[in-house]
Amino acid sequence: MNSPSDTPSSAERPAVTDAELLTAHINGDPHAFSEIVKRHRDRMWAVALRTLGDPDEAADAVQDAFVSAYRKAGTFRGEAAVTTWLHRIVVNACLDRMRRKSVRPVADDELIEAAERDTPMPDQTGEREVSMEVSAALKMLPTDQRAALVLVDMMGYSVEDAAQVLEVPSGTVKSRCARGRAKLAPILSHLRNRSDLSRVSSAKGAELRDG
Amino acid sequence: MTGDTHYDLEILAELAEGLLDAGTARQVREHLAVCDPCGELLADLAAVREVLAATPTPAMPMGVALRIDKALAAEAGSGRGGVGLAEPPNWDELMRDSPWEQAPARHSPWEPGNDPLAGNDPLPEPVRLGVVSDDGTIVPAGRRAARRRRWAMPAVAAAAAAAVVGTAVISTNLFSGGGTIVAGQQGVTADAPSPTRSDVRAKAYALTDSGHNYSDQELKQPLESFFGPAPIVGGGSSDVAGVDKCVNRVANRTKLKVFAVDQGQYNGQEAVIMTSWKNKSAKTLRIDIVDPFNCKNLRKPTVGSW
Repeated sequence: MNSPSDTPSSAERPAVTDAELLTAHINGDPHAFSEIVKRHRDRMWAVALRTLGDPDEAADAVQDAFVSAYRKAGTFRGEAAVTTWLHRIVVNACLDRMRRKSVRPVADDELIEAAERDTPMPDQTGEREVSMEVSAALKMLPTDQRAALVLVDMMGYSVEDAAQVLEVPSGTVKSRCARGRAKLAPILSHLRNRSDLSRVSSAKGAELRDG
Repeated sequence: MTGDTHYDLEILAELAEGLLDAGTARQVREHLAVCDPCGELLADLAAVREVLAATPTPAMPMGVALRIDKALAAEAGSGRGGVGLAEPPNWDELMRDSPWEQAPARHSPWEPGNDPLAGNDPLPEPVRLGVVSDDGTIVPAGRRAARRRRWAMPAVAAAAAAAVVGTAVISTNLFSGGGTIVAGQQGVTADAPSPTRSDVRAKAYALTDSGHNYSDQELKQPLESFFGPAPIVGGGSSDVAGVDKCVNRVANRTKLKVFAVDQGQYNGQEAVIMTSWKNKSAKTLRIDIVDPFNCKNLRKPTVGSW
């Protein structure tokens, strides 16, 4: 996968590739898989945490995913990057969890309500609060839109890479991102200019409704 | 398109993503050129991407890495041991000569076997002063008492049953485990019953189990509101002895008096939050946050308020 953080310069490229490690693991090297985990656990954690919005759920999902990858390493086919394959397993573990909990998509009026709810004054909004607000907002999206936005907008993967992870066409990823952003815009617009104290979101909502 | 009608966010988002057909895209662009409100909406959409991109993506907490390490080690089979993803410091070695490390051995006359470190002892933690766990896979040394998950109640129930059956033999030791708890929230100066423990330190702190997930922001606020509502933990839990030992370690490091301890989480990771008075009249505290497994600081100790 080609993400900003994912392509080390040739100088620091590890001597052993992920694919070689996976082959070593399949051939019984007891340390190969742990090296793969070490390389990718932070990114897998970020994807799961952002997709599920809950650390406990994310921990379970990532653990399930790594154990599952450990078991079915033999089914990996070299046409995809190992990271893509790992991401796919993690994302699917997250989506499974969300489906099992049958998370209900949020209706439009609830979104507007959320947008008009009191929000912390932007200049007091610390990093952690922003993070929590973003988490809460993401939870309101349907799972497919959420997964697409996490990969593309939060993790910085290209639409093509996200499409491979999600196993859908690029156009589908784009449209899921577009719809997701449209739903998030009224909720998150107050973060647009953090020094701007006016409640942009409500004004925008009213304008939008009144035409 | 006149100024009477605006485009909704979804159309604008599709425009930004290049999903509209050429004709529609041109119409929307012409409208945007003359319509400020729609331009604002487009800026809101761009802001969504920026906010999402700017949201920090934290590294995997050590506790989660350890869990995965354990799960994979189990997957690999018992012969391979841990895969060593995140090795904690060897506390046994570091703290070998500490008085509280040596105390338990002298207090195990009731142990059925002659190996006090046997992992399959039917009498669980509360009477064992937190020395051993049967769950040694986290630490390669295999001797460190790994903290049981707090909801592992069967072990506690078993301990209670054992206490009833074998009262004559173990009651003294059982109460020494339970005696680590001060029975009051304002138990700063309360006289903690510490009957038979050979620890040099009196256990004058309140231990609560709020399970609360603390953030850095919250830890800057007065902590009484967080510690206050949580129930005081009763004795007999397998955690208590382990927490007590860890509290002693921290107190030994800081040379301050720990007065309130809460079991909860720190940024989603299981943690023990310890508060010691720095200046009681000014209500300033030193806050130590350690992981319950290895008693290792999860972040730099800070000054807080009560």
